[in-house]
Amino acid sequence: MRCPVCLAMMEEDSFHALGEHLVQEEQRSDGKHIMWLNRYIGIKKAGLDQVREKLEKLYSLDAGLKEWIIRRLVERIYGEPLHPFIVRMQHPDNKTIYGYVMEHHHFLGQWIRSCSAIISKTRVEEVQLFEIDNIVSEYRGIPPDTPSHHELLLRMGESIGVPRSTVYDTAPLPATIDSLNWWDRISKECDWVETMAAMHTLELTANPDIKKMGAKSTYFDSAVLNDPSYSAEVKQFLGEGYKADSGHSMVALDLVEKYCDPGKRRNVQSTVLKSVELLDNYLMARVERGESYGN
Amino acid sequence: MEINYKEGCALCDATWGEYWEEVEGKNRFFCCDICATAFKNLVTKVKAENAWPTIDSLEITGNNNSGRKCTATYDGKEYRFYIKFYNDGRIFDFHSI
Repeated sequence: MRCPVCLAMMEEDSFHALGEHLVQEEQRSDGKHIMWLNRYIGIKKAGLDQVREKLEKLYSLDAGLKEWIIRRLVERIYGEPLHPFIVRMQHPDNKTIYGYVMEHHHFLGQWIRSCSAIISKTRVEEVQLFEIDNIVSEYRGIPPDTPSHHELLLRMGESIGVPRSTVYDTAPLPATIDSLNWWDRISKECDWVETMAAMHTLELTANPDIKKMGAKSTYFDSAVLNDPSYSAEVKQFLGEGYKADSGHSMVALDLVEKYCDPGKRRNVQSTVLKSVELLDNYLMARVERGESYGN
Repeated sequence: MEINYKEGCALCDATWGEYWEEVEGKNRFFCCDICATAFKNLVTKVKAENAWPTIDSLEITGNNNSGRKCTATYDGKEYRFYIKFYNDGRIFDFHSI
């Protein structure tokens, strides 16, 4: 099975093997593996048997793969306390919108590369068609009547005074680059079902039904969509994203559950754990970028 | 500088890993280099905020997810603050409480 921290593949598909790997990395004081152990196993050093038991519990699929994936996203981003970006998104100020636009432009570039990788690696037509539709709605649109999500993002930026040339010409922050590099690696090295799970888990973040799934909050306060203090462009971007991610994320996770070979489920789970960690860091980059608004 | 975590990492109390670094004249145990970076940033910030040359004691509660509520003392003076880090150890939020 795959390591949820470095994505290395264990020689055997067992929690014992993964536990051994995590403890080996811990013994050489690798920060990323230790942070993962602290979060998912506990802060007190445990023996290999205890680590294995906790891994078995973490990866237990009592309610099915889709529900397990939703739980991981909700606990990481929408648990207590809420992720700082979600807090800011409830009534986003121009700083938050700026951070969103500047970093998300780069994210969407990786998004379509990842979706394309899924298309290229599978022969399942319903998956290919789903990803084609996704790429069109996220990045291409159907001009001139139906702008893409990316186009709406750029318009939202323009509505707060950020030219699209600035968005294109500004490099992403290091945390964004790191997350994008990992998502790129997932799309290149992992099975298409793993990639699909890793990427479309992210769309749950903006699913309007996320509260019904256990989240403490929605992505943003829906009153924003009727608030005259926000521009039409902001409302359109947030409103369209809400509609799109509602369908995208759940359909994608249904496809993941449908086509995930039982022998590859743990790999999918590890890739999802990695992806929610990357999402956490990427959303922090949006917050960090927002702090430079107006500078 | 006395700290409340006696056995585990000076910042997070974790007993995984082993990374040593000298901070405020004492070689201290950390679980990893990221915690060591965060801890040094915390100490530097508290000293700068209060114009203290050093810190006599530091008590830390909380974790990286919730952020940490801390109490620092120097020369009979006490300073209570909240601090939260980015995942690379830089300070994300810092304010007195």
